[in-house]
Amino acid sequence: MGKGWIGKVLRVNLTEGTCAVEKLNEAWAREYLGGRGLASKYLCAEVDPGVDPLGPENKLIFAAGPLTGTYGAANGRYMAVTKSPLSGTIASSNSGGCFPSELRYAGYDLIIFEGKSPRPVYLQIHNQNVKLADASQLWGQSTDRTEDLIREKFHGDAKVACIGPAGERRVLFANIINDKHRAAGRSGVGAVMGSKNLKAVAVRGNGGVEVADPQGYRTAALDSYGLLRNNPVSGQGLPALGTAVLVNIINQSGALPTNNFQFDTFAGAEAISGEKLAETYLKRNKSCLGCVIGCGRVTRLSGAAYQGSGEGPEYESIWALGAACGVSDLAAVTKANYLCNEYGMDTITAGATVACAMELFEKGLLSEAEVGMPLPFGDGAAMVKLIELIAKNEGFGQKLALGSYRLAELYGAPELSMSVKKLEFPAYDGRGLQGMALQYATSNRGACHVRGYLVSPEILGLPEKLDPQAIEGKASWTKIFQDFTAVVDSVGVCLFTTFAIGAPQVTRLLNAATGLTLDEEGLLVVGDRIWNLERQFNLRAGVDPGQDTLPKRLLDEPIPDGPLRGATARLAEMLPEYYRLRGWSADGIPGEEKLKSLGLS
Amino acid sequence: MVQVSFYSLLRLLLKRETLALPWTPGLDVRQLLTRVQAEIPTPFLDRLLDADGTLIPGTIILVDRHNIHHLAGLATPIPDGATVALFPPGAGG
Repeated sequence: MGKGWIGKVLRVNLTEGTCAVEKLNEAWAREYLGGRGLASKYLCAEVDPGVDPLGPENKLIFAAGPLTGTYGAANGRYMAVTKSPLSGTIASSNSGGCFPSELRYAGYDLIIFEGKSPRPVYLQIHNQNVKLADASQLWGQSTDRTEDLIREKFHGDAKVACIGPAGERRVLFANIINDKHRAAGRSGVGAVMGSKNLKAVAVRGNGGVEVADPQGYRTAALDSYGLLRNNPVSGQGLPALGTAVLVNIINQSGALPTNNFQFDTFAGAEAISGEKLAETYLKRNKSCLGCVIGCGRVTRLSGAAYQGSGEGPEYESIWALGAACGVSDLAAVTKANYLCNEYGMDTITAGATVACAMELFEKGLLSEAEVGMPLPFGDGAAMVKLIELIAKNEGFGQKLALGSYRLAELYGAPELSMSVKKLEFPAYDGRGLQGMALQYATSNRGACHVRGYLVSPEILGLPEKLDPQAIEGKASWTKIFQDFTAVVDSVGVCLFTTFAIGAPQVTRLLNAATGLTLDEEGLLVVGDRIWNLERQFNLRAGVDPGQDTLPKRLLDEPIPDGPLRGATARLAEMLPEYYRLRGWSADGIPGEEKLKSLGLS
Repeated sequence: MVQVSFYSLLRLLLKRETLALPWTPGLDVRQLLTRVQAEIPTPFLDRLLDADGTLIPGTIILVDRHNIHHLAGLATPIPDGATVALFPPGAGG
């Protein structure tokens, strides 16, 4: 096995209670790199896409990249890959912190969980010593408490990834929390973990990561550090204000979805902005292992209504629990964010589902008696209460735990779910940003912002400013961004570095670490391969190209307010070109020739 | 009058959210920035503009919520009663 990769896969059969180490498939590692790409390859090879996501036949893969645990450019990420119970698509959720690097220091690139344990267990890894331990005392505990208890019982320096009560109860958007506050957030990967009776993975590693060309790697890493430190976004903006700096930017630009996408400007934006967070509850910033950016927010609430401490809220969480619900009470948003982390739930889907319920209520489709309380937009206390009910699977929370699509469908109004492929939108309205509209519609995991992030050129002007309302060229931009982020998610680098570094730097780091000889074009071919692999999984899972679409609201209802008033998503004008650039048929099916060129046939 | 709003690092740096200035005929964004700097003792233009006076990539200036990149850049005229929002480069997600 080449350097960069450890070369080992830990396979854990939860049904049998066995753990075995096997050699990493070297050919696959070279073609799919690691993380999202390599785990997707293993999943496609080992799991029938038609499987029940919460059944024992589904597998859950934790995958680091060949750069995870090295210094250089915020190289501390891993992916949790499985079939999503929320969307039915392939799921791959990304997280940072310290846990991913520790996995590599213990001597593993991937962990594959298969089957279902007959009782709650957690996995202990101390270098080559691996065993499944009883988790009956951990079951029911918050993510925060679970980590504390594992450190007391197993190892004081263990790094822990775990589920909370939401994952145990199969909330369809339960997440996996590591290092107490970092989340593999979307698509319900925590529900899959819960379905396997797997409470946590605890790792202690004393090894390291060898790179193929130490001097070349050192030079590439120092160059990347310099770019990150000297860039105004990664060197100044993100450390000082975190991701929440976007609240005012997106709101002023007229693309902040408000009241379940009924409006695109929010009068309460200033009150929940990053600037306001810095002025009120922020205590300090925090970095993942080896990161020079430090975008994490350490916060504390000590008011009369809400108390607590933790990390965040991040921009997407502020939006979902705030503007999407019409809530301008930053304390309520922060408290709801803490609850989501402690119970182990995706803040985006949680908030967006409450927002959907609020619209159902205001339209008279949902009664006060059924919810147990009035549910108007703007009611922060009700929003916080519902977050608790979801996690505890109590009362109306049981319906919210299904996500917005299934909730809206139950009340005969699926069009009020602001989602694609049953995954809820994040914090940017695709009517205002045409590239984002295309990205949302075509993303392999549904309405996701980190499968391309066209927000960067369309609003932020990075790497160059595009007109958000133009459609010309957006198909090409979307494909390139999708392919590049597939690579970033696969090598183990944080996506936020790409505000300062790009394909040239990632290529240098990857080649120096692994001995590969890719050029930038070759790097994007790897991304294209990963994208098509995921597409193949979805097609076989029955997610047909007809789902490459958007809610009726985005397609037919013009934005009613703000500078982008009158805009709708012009998806039909962009989708054919996108399919053509992908080398797919006019119906969105990858052809044999295309698949063959990528080694996928 | 013209209402100028400071966001992100500018707000932390200047410790103020807004500044109101009298409008004058022919006022454009470049002239406005110069006038704002003259009113505020803390240097801040280097957060928005390069040494040669062009916009730093990622700088966002909105005139009545419209990005000047898609208007006339720093030569964008400012109407009486306008609101101008200043954002140094920022990002997240």
